[in-house]
Amino acid sequence: MMNNVIEARGLTKRYKSTVAVDNIDLHIPSGRIVGLIGPNGAGKTSALKAILGLATYDGELSVLGKNPSKDRAALMEDVCFIADVAVLPRWIRVWQLIELTESIHPKFSREKCMEYLASTKITLDNRVKQLSKGMVVQLHLAIVMAIDVKLLVLDEPTLGLDILFRKQFYTNLLNDYFDEERTIIITTHQVEEIEHILSDLIFIQDGRIALDCSMENVQESYVELIVPPDNAVAARELKPLYERELFGRHIFLYENANRQQLKELGELHTPSVADLFVATMNGGAA
Amino acid sequence: MNRLMALLKREYWENKGAFRTTPLVIGGIYIVLLLMFLITFNHFDNEFQSLKELARWISQIDASLRGEIIYVGSITFFPGLFNIALSFVVFFYLLGSLYDDRKDRSILFWKSLPASDTLTLVSKLLSAMVVAPVIFWAIYVLTSIVIMLVTSVVVLAIGENPWTLFLGVGNPFKAWSMLLLSYLAQSIWALPLYGWLMLVSSFAPRIPLLFAILPPVVVAVLQIWIEFLQTFTLKKNLFGVIGEWFANSPFISINGDGNDRPIASLGIPLTDTFDHEATVANIFDRLFSTHMLIGLAVAAVFLGTALWLRRRATES
Repeated sequence: MMNNVIEARGLTKRYKSTVAVDNIDLHIPSGRIVGLIGPNGAGKTSALKAILGLATYDGELSVLGKNPSKDRAALMEDVCFIADVAVLPRWIRVWQLIELTESIHPKFSREKCMEYLASTKITLDNRVKQLSKGMVVQLHLAIVMAIDVKLLVLDEPTLGLDILFRKQFYTNLLNDYFDEERTIIITTHQVEEIEHILSDLIFIQDGRIALDCSMENVQESYVELIVPPDNAVAARELKPLYERELFGRHIFLYENANRQQLKELGELHTPSVADLFVATMNGGAA
Repeated sequence: MNRLMALLKREYWENKGAFRTTPLVIGGIYIVLLLMFLITFNHFDNEFQSLKELARWISQIDASLRGEIIYVGSITFFPGLFNIALSFVVFFYLLGSLYDDRKDRSILFWKSLPASDTLTLVSKLLSAMVVAPVIFWAIYVLTSIVIMLVTSVVVLAIGENPWTLFLGVGNPFKAWSMLLLSYLAQSIWALPLYGWLMLVSSFAPRIPLLFAILPPVVVAVLQIWIEFLQTFTLKKNLFGVIGEWFANSPFISINGDGNDRPIASLGIPLTDTFDHEATVANIFDRLFSTHMLIGLAVAAVFLGTALWLRRRATES
């Protein structure tokens, strides 16, 4: 149990009239990169806020063995997060931000931070308010990546960044940052950009967990079948989770299906996370 | 300790304009005014004739009286602009202290650092109580030194001795320490107000100034009205309590002694709860009074609530 970075039982977050997170259980071991995927308003941010000690909650929750609502400050020595929009103080200069993080965060490495900044156009004397939105995100990422924490939470980290930097960022994250000791949780709407780096997948819908499995499991359990229109009826009889049409061909998504049987009807593919997501959200529980 | 220092530095960086530039500008104004005064004299006067007469007239005043006037002047009249500016700076700093980062959402960044909400609150309170007053004080002292130097040079130039004229008769160090003590004592005395401002700052959804002023005004007006309905008299209300509190504060102000002589007094002598003569003993008398104890209790309630709200500031 102590191996799990995040351990939640019956985690619930209620706002006045709505339930944002509805009695969920989570067990996230270390050394994983977890994609937390859900439509807007599904409860992703509420769940993350509870995990980061930014909001109260009901139920049991332990992050790195600590209670986030009581020990936020202590927890933040081993946890780092980027919230969904660039939230760096606008008045601060880059060198001040670095000096401040250095003296408050015991695990911050100035050299690493400068290394990441060197690949950007940001200079130390810039004020945050002089930077473009994308540069602010770059700065924030440079700081966060230079902190040696056990859990990194990225809530829409690349919003407003161009595709070159996004690719670069995820490559850096995987090559330089990630290791067995660390856990990364990412939420994003651009699923296709992160699916190749994820080790686990959690779908969240209406405050509940709709899917929680490893990427290997996804590849084992789910299969996509592409059939010509003539075979559509036969394919439909095999109880697909979801069906869609593309250029006149029918695409079906199956869970734990007999692959031999499916092969006779058409081409088999591993579904993309995005397709699996759409299927799960529209087709009910997985 | 390291973290607290870092957080204090952050407050200073963010408020450099208010904490440092404001007193520097005031000091600059003082020096410019002095220079303008000297140039004016030089312009209309043949070789500083009237300035020489002024110096001679001053030198005829009794040395101890001269010293007293210089002392009173350097803790009341001369720091006047600094005092007023400092009050405004601290007031608006505290009003924004727990509001600004909620408004621009940078609170999410601050909360991602391993610094507790308590430490954050302490750093902001200390900035208002110690950092800002000490900077204002230091720049006032610096301004005084520049003014003394310039004046000494001028006095020397007109053939008088600056030491016997004013340098030797006043005791600037006594005046400066008294002023600093009064600033710091005032920070403690004003804690109920500071606590209130931080509380407002931590809950106001917008326009903290409105939320800071409106509730006390409503309460006081209701009190006055109810008193008036019941007894046809106007007795003590919240305005009176607040007014009396600050009239009793250890802040040095200028007052007449009844014989047309200006004296330095602590606060404004409206009541005789405390001795208003500006002495170190009277300052400590205030700080170790029952009044102060009650004030600290009120401040603790305000600050405790502000902290409670700060912990929940990222809820929605």
